[in-house]
Amino acid sequence: MTGAIVKESAASPHWLKMVGARLANLPISYIGTAALLVGAGLARPALLQPFLLLLILRQAAPLGIAVIGQSLCIRLLSLDLSFGGVAMAVSYVLTSGYLPFSEPVLIALCLLLGLAVGAINAFFIAHLRASSVIVTLAMVLILGGVVTAFSQLRSPGESPELLRYIGQARIGILPVTVLVWAAALIPMALFLRLSVFGRYVDAIGANPRAAWASGIPYIRAIYAAHILSSLFAVLSAFLLVGFVGFGSLSIGADLALNSLAAVILGGVTFGSGKGGMLGPAAAAFMLMFSFNLLTSFGLGEPGKEMAQGAIIALAAIAYSARSARQWA
Amino acid sequence: MSAVSVRRLGRTGLGLVSLGLPLAMFVLLSARAPDFFGLQNIANVNSQITALLIVALGQLVVALIGGIDISVGSVVSLTSVLLVLVDPALAVPAALGAACAIGLANGIGVAFFNVHPLIMTLATMTFVQGLALLFVSSAGGTAPAAVVMLARASFGGFPAAFFWCVLAIGVVSIILYKSRFGLRVFAIGANAQSAALSGAGVSGPRIACYILCSLAGAVAGIYLTGRIATGDPTLGQAFGLDSVTAIALGGVQLSGGVGSVAGAVLGTITLGLIANGMNLLGVSPFFHAVVTGCLLLGAISLQRRKVIGV
Repeated sequence: MTGAIVKESAASPHWLKMVGARLANLPISYIGTAALLVGAGLARPALLQPFLLLLILRQAAPLGIAVIGQSLCIRLLSLDLSFGGVAMAVSYVLTSGYLPFSEPVLIALCLLLGLAVGAINAFFIAHLRASSVIVTLAMVLILGGVVTAFSQLRSPGESPELLRYIGQARIGILPVTVLVWAAALIPMALFLRLSVFGRYVDAIGANPRAAWASGIPYIRAIYAAHILSSLFAVLSAFLLVGFVGFGSLSIGADLALNSLAAVILGGVTFGSGKGGMLGPAAAAFMLMFSFNLLTSFGLGEPGKEMAQGAIIALAAIAYSARSARQWA
Repeated sequence: MSAVSVRRLGRTGLGLVSLGLPLAMFVLLSARAPDFFGLQNIANVNSQITALLIVALGQLVVALIGGIDISVGSVVSLTSVLLVLVDPALAVPAALGAACAIGLANGIGVAFFNVHPLIMTLATMTFVQGLALLFVSSAGGTAPAAVVMLARASFGGFPAAFFWCVLAIGVVSIILYKSRFGLRVFAIGANAQSAALSGAGVSGPRIACYILCSLAGAVAGIYLTGRIATGDPTLGQAFGLDSVTAIALGGVQLSGGVGSVAGAVLGTITLGLIANGMNLLGVSPFFHAVVTGCLLLGAISLQRRKVIGV
């Protein structure tokens, strides 16, 4: 009897500890976004107006879509740094007028390009076990070089009508880009949570050699991840080109590095086999919100770069320290 | 576990690609471009590849322990800015000190906090590039006269670039092949756990490798700033990735333990010859990147790894 009373009274702190541990395990992006919103509420309340928040959400949409692919690759112990090259190529194909096709055909061509780039990346990474850093960087060199060479003949121009509509229109108060982001994110998150493929991703990320030895289709998973990643990069470039209204060779140049930062802030780490889709999505918003907040403080581009570097380093160190504590 | 078959290539990583590619470039260019073997052209290639060679040697040291340092380009830029901002007497020590601090930050992040080197150096790359741009927003200022003299003078008929290359190759060769530290670097790169169990300290040498790489970036920055005689906050932007490309072409494995100074030198020469050859053959400079990318993919196709990973 006395034992039961002791057990019951001890249950409450234990339950509290569980909740505390659960909160402490949340991706930094949730805590960071909340802290930024509180900070902005105190220092720059104007930034919290719904209209501005939706604008920031619209700015975050291209990054958020790229982040879906990047987080998938990172969960599989791979990496995709070719976003910049893909965005550049998409921007050129769509806006230069070099290819005399209608808008839907050009859009289809861009999707085919994404498919091809993803498949080539995957071929080198899965079959030849090449470093994903080197393969995807080589891809940036090739795509960037070709586009830059062609742009000497014909420079990028206006973006297609359809993409401008998607990039700039609203339904009610909601920007269409945000709806596109949600339409890509939610099915993907559900698919990875509920499907067998999602389990494969977790198993390969946790221990690729063990997964390989267990007969998990590593090669197919890498193909799927890299093709999806490149297709998401194409979609992200569609939104950027539509949002800006014209093509540019520098469009999406910071997409790869920002997506990497967002994935880390979102709680996905190399080789842990852990990670969701919502954490990195929140991180994409957090990064864009922090850039806007820093701009409102009068911090120029260099200051923003420094803050971005510091955020990535601190987040990565915090995650490593946290996982070291868990394993201890 | 090392990446490629160590039995086949040895720990130098020198194979068909790393040896054959520069040789093929030499043969092709000497046949197609009559000016290629001219003294002036050879001197041009030498001065063009010097900074990349110094950075690639630093990148090699980090790659040998299974790391990667993409922040080294930002170190080149920051060095260039510091050289024109700080008092000329203190400029070089300030640049070397800043590089040590950046390397230390990278090393601590990777060795103590176990952060992936790509992430850690990406963070410092962004931070340091921002810092360089905060100091100076565009190219300008005057480099110290001594630095300009060291980069531009010629001794005994040889341009200064030649001596910078020889010195860099000599120093890194002694560090890697003639010191206890070098032995530990190869041991850690081949299998960090085995090295630790055999009593070799792992964290110290790891941090030292990142410091050495940043110092290589600073030395390359000093050389380049001397060459152009002015400061440029974006001077080193391409070096982070170019140095990785150079060592990859030289057979160095990013998973650690396999690589050589000769490989880094050959990889850099290959990149230099691509740029020079395309100039001589009149190919658009915009295709340099395309050819480099294709060669990089070709090089890794012939060096199949066993490990799965970044």
